[in-house]
Amino acid sequence: MARKISYQQAINEALAQEMRRDPTVFIIGEDVAGGAGAPGENDAWGGVLGVTKGLYGQFPGRVLDAPLSEIGYVGAAVGAATQGLRPVCELMFVDFAGCCLDQILNQAAKFRYMYGGKAVTPLVMRTMVGAGLRAAAQHSQMLTSLWTHIPGLKVVCPSSPYDAKGLLIQAIRDNDPVIFCEHKLLYSLQGEVPEEVYTVPFGEANFLRDGDDITLVTYGRMVHLAMEAAANLARQGIDCEVLDLRTTSPMDEDSILESVEKTGRLVVIDEANPRCSMATDISALVAQKAFGALKGSIEMVTAPHTPVPFSDALEDLYIPTAAKIEAAVHTVMKGRNAA
Amino acid sequence: MSHPAPTVGIIVNPASGRDLRRLTASAGLYSSTDKASAVQRLLAAFAATGIRRVLLPPDMTGIAAAVLKASNGPQAAGQRWPQLDILDMPLRQTVEDTRLAARQMLARGVALIAVLGGDGTHKAVAAEVGDIPLLTLSTGTNNAFPELREATSAGLAGGLFAAGRIPAQVGLRRNKRLLVRDPARELCEWALVEVAVSPQRFIGARALSRAEDLAEVFATFAEPHAIGLSALCGLWCPVSRHAAEGAWVRLNGQAEQALLAPLAPGLVQGCGITAAGPLAPGVAYSLSLSSGTLALDGEREIEFSEHDRPTVTLDAHGPLSIDVEAVLAFAARHRLLAVGREHPQHPAHPQC
Amino acid sequence: MSTHLNTEQLLHAYRVMRTIRAFEERLHIEFATGEIPGFVHLYAGEEASAAGVMAHLRDSDCIASNHRGHGHCIAKGVDVHGMMAEIYGKKTGVCGGKGGSMHIADLEKGMLGANGIVGAGAPLVAGAALAAKLKGTDDVAVVFFGDGGSNEGAVFEAMNLAAIMNLPCIFVAENNGYAEATASNWSVACDHIADRAAGFGMPGVTIDGYDFFAVHEAAGAAIERARSGQGPSLVEVKLTRYYGHFEGDAQTYRAPDEVKNLRETRDCLMQFRQRTTRAGLLGDAQLDLVDAQVEDLIEDAVRRAKSDPKPQPADLLSDVYVAYP
Repeated sequence: MARKISYQQAINEALAQEMRRDPTVFIIGEDVAGGAGAPGENDAWGGVLGVTKGLYGQFPGRVLDAPLSEIGYVGAAVGAATQGLRPVCELMFVDFAGCCLDQILNQAAKFRYMYGGKAVTPLVMRTMVGAGLRAAAQHSQMLTSLWTHIPGLKVVCPSSPYDAKGLLIQAIRDNDPVIFCEHKLLYSLQGEVPEEVYTVPFGEANFLRDGDDITLVTYGRMVHLAMEAAANLARQGIDCEVLDLRTTSPMDEDSILESVEKTGRLVVIDEANPRCSMATDISALVAQKAFGALKGSIEMVTAPHTPVPFSDALEDLYIPTAAKIEAAVHTVMKGRNAA
Repeated sequence: MSHPAPTVGIIVNPASGRDLRRLTASAGLYSSTDKASAVQRLLAAFAATGIRRVLLPPDMTGIAAAVLKASNGPQAAGQRWPQLDILDMPLRQTVEDTRLAARQMLARGVALIAVLGGDGTHKAVAAEVGDIPLLTLSTGTNNAFPELREATSAGLAGGLFAAGRIPAQVGLRRNKRLLVRDPARELCEWALVEVAVSPQRFIGARALSRAEDLAEVFATFAEPHAIGLSALCGLWCPVSRHAAEGAWVRLNGQAEQALLAPLAPGLVQGCGITAAGPLAPGVAYSLSLSSGTLALDGEREIEFSEHDRPTVTLDAHGPLSIDVEAVLAFAARHRLLAVGREHPQHPAHPQC
Repeated sequence: MSTHLNTEQLLHAYRVMRTIRAFEERLHIEFATGEIPGFVHLYAGEEASAAGVMAHLRDSDCIASNHRGHGHCIAKGVDVHGMMAEIYGKKTGVCGGKGGSMHIADLEKGMLGANGIVGAGAPLVAGAALAAKLKGTDDVAVVFFGDGGSNEGAVFEAMNLAAIMNLPCIFVAENNGYAEATASNWSVACDHIADRAAGFGMPGVTIDGYDFFAVHEAAGAAIERARSGQGPSLVEVKLTRYYGHFEGDAQTYRAPDEVKNLRETRDCLMQFRQRTTRAGLLGDAQLDLVDAQVEDLIEDAVRRAKSDPKPQPADLLSDVYVAYP
C-alpha cells in the first residue's frame, strides 16, 4: 500500500527492508550512526542529515561508524564486498571522492575485468550530490559523469521517493559496484511510496511526460525543473516529452533515441559542469544515431564551467532553472538556422 | 686535577627494541626517534660534565642524522653540547656495524663508550674495546646487562668518569662472562648475561622466551629484580653482579615445582625447575642435552647435535662498566656537580 | 611456531621458496627475449617472507599483494601455469589474460589480487578482515606492501581502521630498501616502518627477511593474535630484491656489489638448506629432489604458456559487469 513519505524516508526504508531480508547487508560510513565512542547517544545523528537514523537500533553491529578516513573505510567496504558481504558505504558528500577515488576507480570498478570475470563486488556507495544548500565548492558537486565514465561502475540518480526506494533496493541486490547519488535538495521531497519491497530496474528511463514537439532528457533534481518548464511550455502550446534517466550507467539509450526520433528536437538538462558531461554525452549520442531525425540544434542546459559558488546570488545563477530550460526549448523550436 | 678534554663515543643499536616480543608478549617499541632523543640527553649531560668531543657512528635509520641536526640547534648551543663527529665508515646493517664503530672509537682513544642497546649490542662492543669502560643503557627488550636508566643521569655519571673526576675503584665495575666452547667445531663465543639451552632447533627470531623452549640456563649474575632469563635464575638462586660465581638452573615441564618467572615483558610463566646451583668460575660445564640450540644473551643461536660437545665456563674477564649509582653517590658526597658564579649555567646568568 | 615444523612442512616451505625463485629467475631470462609484454616486477630474494607468512594461512584467509606479487601468489597456492600464462597474456591465464603480472588474483585461494596501485591493498584487506569479523569466522587477512607503500595514506588509514575496529588484519611491510629507485632510509621518516605501529596502538616488529624461520615465527605470532581476536599487528620484514624495480631497471642507484654480497651471504634458500641439513632435519637429496621437480614445473609452465592461445576479440568486451543491460 502506498503512502506519502519523503525521499529520505524512502532511502531509510529501503535500507531497513534489505537489511532485514539479507543478513549480509551492512552500512559503514562517517556518522551513519553517529556517536561511536562518545558519551551520549550512539545513534545521535543517523547520518549527517539523518538519512540512516534509527537503523543502528534495529540492526545492532551492522551500522558501523567509520573514522573520517575515506580511503580506509571505502576501501574496507570494497574489500568486504569481495568476501561475500553487501556493504552499503556512505560517502557523506560526493566531493570527498577526491580522498578515496582510487578504491573506486582502480579497485572496485576493475576487479571483475582484471580478474577475468571471477570477482563479484556488490558494493553500494551512497553519496550526497548537488548544489543549492549554499554549501560551496567542496560540498555541492554532481560529478555524475566522473563515475559514468568509469567502466565497471553503475551510477544511479533517483529523482523521486518512489525511485529512491526501488533503485536503492536494486542497487543493494545488484552484483556490481553502484554509485548511488542522492540529491541533498530532494531529501524532504514527499511522494507516493509503496510499503512493500520493490525494485526499479537499472537502465530504464522514466517517461514522465509524453509530448510530440521536443524531448527533454535529464536526471536527478533537474527532473523537477524540466517538469516545471514543460508545464509552462504546454501553456504556450509546446508539447514536451520528459525523460528521467534514473541511471546514467547503464543509460537507456533506446528510450532517448526513440523519443528524439518522434519529436525531432532535444534539450539535455544536467546540473553538472558542462565539459565531458552527461549533457555532452547524450548530445553526441543523438547527433550520431538520430541525426536524420533532428529538426533543430541540440541545446544543453547545464551549470557553467566553474566551481560551485557560495553566495546565494551566485549559486542561484549557477544552478539551471526552469526559465533557462524554457529559453533553450524556444531556441530549438525556432529551428536549425535560428540557433 | 687537570685533564685534557676527553672524547667519548656513543654507539646505538638501530635494530634493537623491535623484535618478536612485541607480538608474543607486551614488550614496548623503542623507536629510532626515541633513540635519537636518548643520545641528545646524553649529549646534554656530557656537556655539563666537560666532555668536548663525542664520536657517533652513522646509521641507516636516521638516528645520527637527527642528532646531528639537533646539535646545530639552539638547545645544543645553549647547553654547549660537545663537538659531534660522525664516524666515517661503511654500513652493512648488521652487528658488524657496531663492531666497526667500536674499533674506530678504540683507535681514537675514547675515554668511555656509551652503549644504547640490548645485551647483544653490549657484548658486541665489549668484544672489541678491551678495557674501555662502557656506560650501559638499555633499549632492548629483555636486557639484564644494561639497566633501564634515564640517559641524562647516566650521562652525568659517564661524563664525570670520562673527565677523570671519579676514581676507578669507585666508578668501575668488572663484569663476568660465560664462554661457550667446542674445540672440535673451533667454536668459542661468549655471553655477558646468560646462555640458554633449548631442545628446539630453529628458534626463528631472537625470542627464546618460553618455558617450553628452555632446558637449561647459565647466568653470569642473577638479579631477582631483572627481566628475562636472568630473572628466572635470580628468583631461584640469586647471585649479584659482584659475586665471583654465577648460577644455573635446569628446567623441565614435568618438575614438581614451578617458578613463576617474568620471562619477557608481560610474560610471567611457570617454569618447572628440576635442579639449580652456583656456577663456579673456571669450570667447564657440559650440557644436559645432546642436541638443541644455544642462545647467547638471547641472540646468537648455535645449533648443536649429538656429534657436538659444547661447554659453558664462567670467568671474570668481561668488560668494565660504569657503576652509575656509585659514581653519582660519590659525586654528591664530593659536590662534583656544584658550580660557582663563574659557570655559565649558574642561575645568576641569564638563560640562553 | 616455527620451532615445531615437521618434515613435510619444512619441505613445503622449501618448495614454495624454490618455486618462487625459479619462477622469477626464469621470467628474468624470458623477459629479456622480448616475448613477455608489459611490466614485470620480480620477487626473487624475498621468498622467505611470502613462504613464512603463508605457511600459517588457509584458503579462507585473504591476502592482498602489490605490484611485486608473484611470490605471494605462488605461496598462497595460485596455479603456477595459470600465473605464467597470465603473464604471457594468454587466454589460459588465471585472469584470462586481462590482468597480467600486476593483477594476478585467485579469490577462491584467498588471493585478493596483486595490485598496481601502491598501498591500495591495505584498505581492501581491512575490509576482508571486517567481513570475517561480521561473518563470525576466525579468518584473518594479510596485506603485503613495501617500504614505498608504507608511506601511502591508504596504509595509514587502513591501519587506523583495523586498530579501532580490532580487525583480524596483519600488515606485512616488506622493506627491501628501495621504493623504485628511492632509498627507504631517505623516504621513510622514522626509518623503521615497524616504529609506526605504535602510533596506531598495535604491536610492530622488525624481522630478518632472509631467515625463513624468523619470518615464520613472527608471522605465526601475529596471525595467532589476529585469529584469536586480539587485533592487528605490523610486521616489518627486512630483505632485498635481487632484480630491479621492474625488469629493465639496471639498478644503478645501488652500490656496485650490493646484490652480489647479499646473495652470497644472506640468501634465504641457502640459509634454509644450511640450517636444516646441518640440524639433520632434511637431507640434501630431499632438497635436490625438490629443486629438480620445481625446475620441471617451471619448464612445463613456460612451455605451455608460450603455446597457449591468446584471448579472443570478443573477450575485450566481456567481464566488465556481472550484468549490464
